[in-house]
Amino acid sequence: MKLNRLILWSLLIALGTLTPLCPAQQPPPAPVSIEAVQVIGLVGVKQNTKGNLKVENGSLSFAHSKSTCEVPAASIQDVVTGADSQRVIGGTVGTISRLAPYGGGTALSLLRSKVDIITIQYRDSNGGLHGVIFTMPVGQAQLIKQALVAQGAHTSIPSQAKSISYSPLQSEAKEQVN
Amino acid sequence: MKTIKRATILCIFIARLTAVPLLCEQPHPPAISPAAAIEVEMIQAGEISLPAEFQVALYENLVQELQKNGGFSQVYRDGDRNAAGASDLVVLHTAVTAFKKGSELERDVTTVGGATSITIHCKFTDKEGKVLLERDITGKVRLIGDNLKATDDFAKKAATVAQETLSSDSTSSNSKKSGYKNVI
Repeated sequence: MKLNRLILWSLLIALGTLTPLCPAQQPPPAPVSIEAVQVIGLVGVKQNTKGNLKVENGSLSFAHSKSTCEVPAASIQDVVTGADSQRVIGGTVGTISRLAPYGGGTALSLLRSKVDIITIQYRDSNGGLHGVIFTMPVGQAQLIKQALVAQGAHTSIPSQAKSISYSPLQSEAKEQVN
Repeated sequence: MKTIKRATILCIFIARLTAVPLLCEQPHPPAISPAAAIEVEMIQAGEISLPAEFQVALYENLVQELQKNGGFSQVYRDGDRNAAGASDLVVLHTAVTAFKKGSELERDVTTVGGATSITIHCKFTDKEGKVLLERDITGKVRLIGDNLKATDDFAKKAATVAQETLSSDSTSSNSKKSGYKNVI
C-alpha cells in the first residue's frame, strides 16, 4: 500500500517537473503599427501616399485615407531594409537615414527628415511579381521586417544580428557606426 | 559644242543628285510585327551593386509607364501565369550595365555634381526567345529631384521605345522620336 502511494507521488512529481518542458503554445506576435509613406508599388495607391503600415494576423496592411491594401506575409518573397542593402553593397549603415534617396516631397534635401526604407517583393494570386517601397521613421524598418519574417515572409538578407555573426567585417562596420 | 558640253555636265550633275540619296540610304532594320501584350521581367542587377529599392523602383516604374504609355493592351508582370495564353506577346528582359548613385544633397548644394545615372540593357524577345530588339537606355537625374527620378526617367524612355517600335499602337510617323539606335 505504501509502495503504491510512493509510486503515485513519484509519478505526480515527475509530471510536475516535466510539464514546463513541454512546448507551450506561443502567444501570437504582437501587431506592429507605424506611420509610413508608400513610395511606389501598391496597386491602386498613388505614389508618396502617407498612411498606416501594420503587420497583423499574417499580413501586411497599409491603410490610407481612401482604402486599405493587404499583402499576405506568406506571399512576400523578399523583404529588405535600406540598412540591409547598404551593408550588402558595402556602405556605412549610418548614412542611409541622412542621405536617404526619398524625401517627403521637399525640394531641398537639406530640409528632409531622417527616414528608413523597406523594400518588399511579393507575388499576387496569378504569380505576378510586385515590388513595394515604404519610407518610415528611423529605426522602424527593422521592426516591420522582423514582424513580417515572424509571420512567414522570406528575406534574402538575414537580420542584422544574424548577419553580423556570419561575418567579422560587418561587425567592424557596425563598430565604426557606433 | 559648248551646248553639248553644258548639257553633258548638267546631266551628270542631275544624275549625281538623284543617286546620292539612294547611295546614302541605310538598309532597313528587320520588320517587327506589332505586339498586343508585353511581359516585364524583373530587373537583373548582375554584378552591379544596386540597392534593392532602386531595383524595385525601376521595375514598378517600368510596369506603370508601359501601362500608361506603352501602347499595349496588356502588360503582364514577371511570372504572371496569364501571359502564357497571350498570342502577340513580347517579353522585356532587362539587365543593369552601369549605375552611379549620386547625391540629392550634392545636387542641391552645387547644382553641378551629384548626378545619378543608371544604364540598362533592354532586350525585347518574342515568346520563343527570338530577339526582336536590343537597346541600352540610360535614366538620369541631374539637377532637381531625388535619386528615384532616375528610375522614372529610364521607365519613360523604355516605354517610348516599346511604343514606337513594338506595340500595336506604333505609327511610322513617330518612329524617329526617341533617337535610339538598334543594337541588332
